[in-house]
Amino acid sequence: MIKPSSKTIRFLNRTRKSISFRKLMASPRVSFTILFETFQKILTLNNRILELIAGMGDKLSGDYIFDHHYIDTICQEAADLVHQLIIGLNALSFGKYNDLMAAFHRINDDIKQELQGKPVIPKGDDTIFYDFLNRDSEEMVGAKNANLAEVKHALGLTIPNGFAVTTRAFFSFMHYNRLWDRLDPIFNAFHHEEMTSEEASAQIQEWIRGAKIPSSLKKTVHRSLQQLSKVLGSRSPYLAIRSSAWGEDTQASFAGQYHTFLNEPADNLLKCYQKVIESTFSSSAMEYRRQKGFSENEVAMSVGCQAMVNAKASGVLYTVDPMAPHEDVMLITAAWGLGAPLVEGRAQADHYRISRRSPYKRHDESIACKAERLSLKDTGGTEYIKVPEDQARQACLTDAQLLKLAETGLQIEAHFKTPQDIEFAVDHEERLYILQARPLNIKINRSIMARELPDIVCKYPVIFHGKGFIAQRGIGAGKVFIIDQDEDLDQFPQGAILVAKHTSPRFAKVIRKTNGILTDVGSPTGHMATIAREFRVPTIVNMQNATQLLKQGQEITVDAEENKVYEGTIKELLTYSMTEEPIEETYEYRLLKRVLKKIGLLNLLDPTAKNFIPSACQTFHDITRFVHEKAVEELIHREYDHHHDTNTTTGKLKLALPLDLILIDIADGLAKGVKHTILPEHILSLPMHAFVEGLIRPGAWSTEPMSVDLGSFMSSMTRTFSTGLSAPENIGRNMAVISKPYAHIGLRLGYHFTMIDSYIDENWNSNYAYFRFLGGVTEADKRSRRAQLLANILVQNDFRVEVRGDLVVARIKKLSTEIMQTKLHLLGVLVAFSRQLDVQMLSDQHIQLYTDTFNQLMRGSA
Amino acid sequence: MDQKNSIRILVLDDEPIVCKRLQPALEKKGYEVETFIRSEEALRRFVEHPFEIVITDLKMKGIDGMQFLSEVKKIAPDTKVIVITGFATMETAKESFRQGVFDFLAKPFKIGEILEGIQKAEIKIRERRGETAPSAN
Repeated sequence: MIKPSSKTIRFLNRTRKSISFRKLMASPRVSFTILFETFQKILTLNNRILELIAGMGDKLSGDYIFDHHYIDTICQEAADLVHQLIIGLNALSFGKYNDLMAAFHRINDDIKQELQGKPVIPKGDDTIFYDFLNRDSEEMVGAKNANLAEVKHALGLTIPNGFAVTTRAFFSFMHYNRLWDRLDPIFNAFHHEEMTSEEASAQIQEWIRGAKIPSSLKKTVHRSLQQLSKVLGSRSPYLAIRSSAWGEDTQASFAGQYHTFLNEPADNLLKCYQKVIESTFSSSAMEYRRQKGFSENEVAMSVGCQAMVNAKASGVLYTVDPMAPHEDVMLITAAWGLGAPLVEGRAQADHYRISRRSPYKRHDESIACKAERLSLKDTGGTEYIKVPEDQARQACLTDAQLLKLAETGLQIEAHFKTPQDIEFAVDHEERLYILQARPLNIKINRSIMARELPDIVCKYPVIFHGKGFIAQRGIGAGKVFIIDQDEDLDQFPQGAILVAKHTSPRFAKVIRKTNGILTDVGSPTGHMATIAREFRVPTIVNMQNATQLLKQGQEITVDAEENKVYEGTIKELLTYSMTEEPIEETYEYRLLKRVLKKIGLLNLLDPTAKNFIPSACQTFHDITRFVHEKAVEELIHREYDHHHDTNTTTGKLKLALPLDLILIDIADGLAKGVKHTILPEHILSLPMHAFVEGLIRPGAWSTEPMSVDLGSFMSSMTRTFSTGLSAPENIGRNMAVISKPYAHIGLRLGYHFTMIDSYIDENWNSNYAYFRFLGGVTEADKRSRRAQLLANILVQNDFRVEVRGDLVVARIKKLSTEIMQTKLHLLGVLVAFSRQLDVQMLSDQHIQLYTDTFNQLMRGSA
Repeated sequence: MDQKNSIRILVLDDEPIVCKRLQPALEKKGYEVETFIRSEEALRRFVEHPFEIVITDLKMKGIDGMQFLSEVKKIAPDTKVIVITGFATMETAKESFRQGVFDFLAKPFKIGEILEGIQKAEIKIRERRGETAPSAN
């Protein structure tokens, strides 16, 4: 028998003490000591919430196995903590913020609704143009629209101009006509097999046919059409109107389940829209959903409205041959005219089997006699036209087009990390359009394959094993491309493995062409890793000598799951990993991501902004942030502005630094007789004194902004960085509560929060220091190098450190008075030093650079 | 890996997602895996053909995990049982170990954590069989 794992023990030991605020509900004349006790309880809750949010984010990494029960319990825990937090603030402020409860209930109701499997109607507009969509917009516009927009945004490929009528519009259509109420009993009967899908469908479709489109939706669609017409330079454009339902074009294709209209005059849009909605509830679609395990509550239809492409030729590309996934070939089928007959399997077509590797050799080709083609009718709609005999036997794609298609297909596959089923068209100006990209289902027996893998893999020589840190899991193979200088990036070939000494944000430029990344130096929490994760490129960093052991052009397989690098390409391993259902496709992952939006996102960034109010809180994180801000304000207000408790001394610390810090002394933390203006030498509090000494150590508080290469940094990033980097130096006031052996320091520098809590006296056993840093970045995956720098320095100085996203928590305890004071001194220097570093942390190299600079500073004489 | 030498693992969890995620992760390590979301079916299968390793949830409808593992231990005392549960308390952990459980994990867990337990179990199983265990990679 082995002992329970350490994780289990950690779990079991986790205290679930409920924090009580009984004492405080007393009169406003309550002593500061009691108020401060409340304040500390609020902070404890605040920390637990932040850690809980970070923990939830971790679960999305793919390393964890979690279930619905976890999501239920963690949401409940979050709600309990936030609820207590609000009670705490209201106790502290004597009920000033009761309206936070309304915000809490509003958010919590949304979360509960998500947990019950009733997706919350997405907020936003009724129509959105493709230019403003990407794959994260799936909830709003369905996967088909979202993937298409992503292909344009992320890969720069051409797609038809157009917009999506959103799922929000669908919900307003359904509500406006009171359809849900009528549908529920039918769904129920269908679910319990008291009604066939034909009967259910017939009833529902009849109601939808009789329903009215809300006038606001009509107006919005009309406006979008006008805008589209302007872009296209045509007063009445012809459109392709395509379904894009929730779940469609994910792992479940729903292929051919819903209506599509081709070459419809713009005037017909609303009529067609309603028909697509009707097709949502066709009997075959309902059956399909039942088989695939979708509930009828998970139904929402978005509709894509696209400029009709006048295709000279159209076709379908499978990036892998589904019948022979090991063979390393892709399939292309193409015919003259529009692609619909081909997709429906009703037309003769040219077939190609092409190697998946550059230079994309053609294995097979068969050119069919394509006697008919589907064309656009001048008056709208489509018609079959006879193809002239000489043209009928001609290949409908040129060699150059085939090459371009092959490259494009692999690019899309590499981006979505799964084999693709791509519909394309070539217009009369020979422009290639992507019309649709969705996962290709490959039927292989994964169980058998998996078990054969260890035997196959062991035949390949292992170059690295267990060296470095995995920054992004996955499997990738290709030729080694070693980068010495940034100029080399222009030569980077599609599908190569990027090998470099350091990580650099400039690699973002070639990330889409990369099958894997290996670096000698680097950290798994750096920005490089963030980008690798965003694009799911298998990445191992800090391998020490990858650039030396690997040769330019050498074929290797990177297994960033087992932390191994093999010589050669292990096709079986690649096929296996490509056919793996991505965790992103599981319901639980989607659900966790959805509830995290209500829990973990931070929208309230600026405490001086007008919307820094309870009713603007959209997430639990917002509430937590709000409460923290107001709790600090409350203490300062009571003790500094209106000195309630005559047993405390309060004043402003006078420093040569631009730092506004108010000290509240509970007992013997300041020299006798000091009032309002406090100089460092007045501080008797052991931890506070040491900290302030560190803060003002010469050289620590850099006033010279170091050179900021922000422009190039931002342009090398692939997505926009949404936080205000131009944060004001000082928003609001900072506060420290002290006594002789104790200090609690809360500092807000820019949008970053630092909190230090320390106790130092002669008794070693009770000595401790707690340091917490939280960056004000909105998204969990925008991890900060600054966090890593802080962690490095703190670890070097014997702190126990946890980094989760941009939350850094460090602890140290039970050291002698003198050593504890040096640690507080160090924290002072660190806070001053790292205050404005994040914009300068251009690459992972800077982490080391600034760690060294810091160490020099500490060695230098004070 | 040779069929007769391979280790067979039964996974029982009433949440399909756990089975769905565990199965490929374990198969990739060369284990033969069968998954169940109903304890009755899992037990029927176990009676028919015992497994070397059982991974089971605790709280389930019908036969719960505690009952299931005691049945398993009755049929095949050498089977190594790993409990995975979202309701981890000191009591359930103690009770599980009293029942002769090999390892106990609180959900959610990292794939690496459960693999560690399985590899330890595999070493014991192979020792018993008189084989040398493959190097745990």
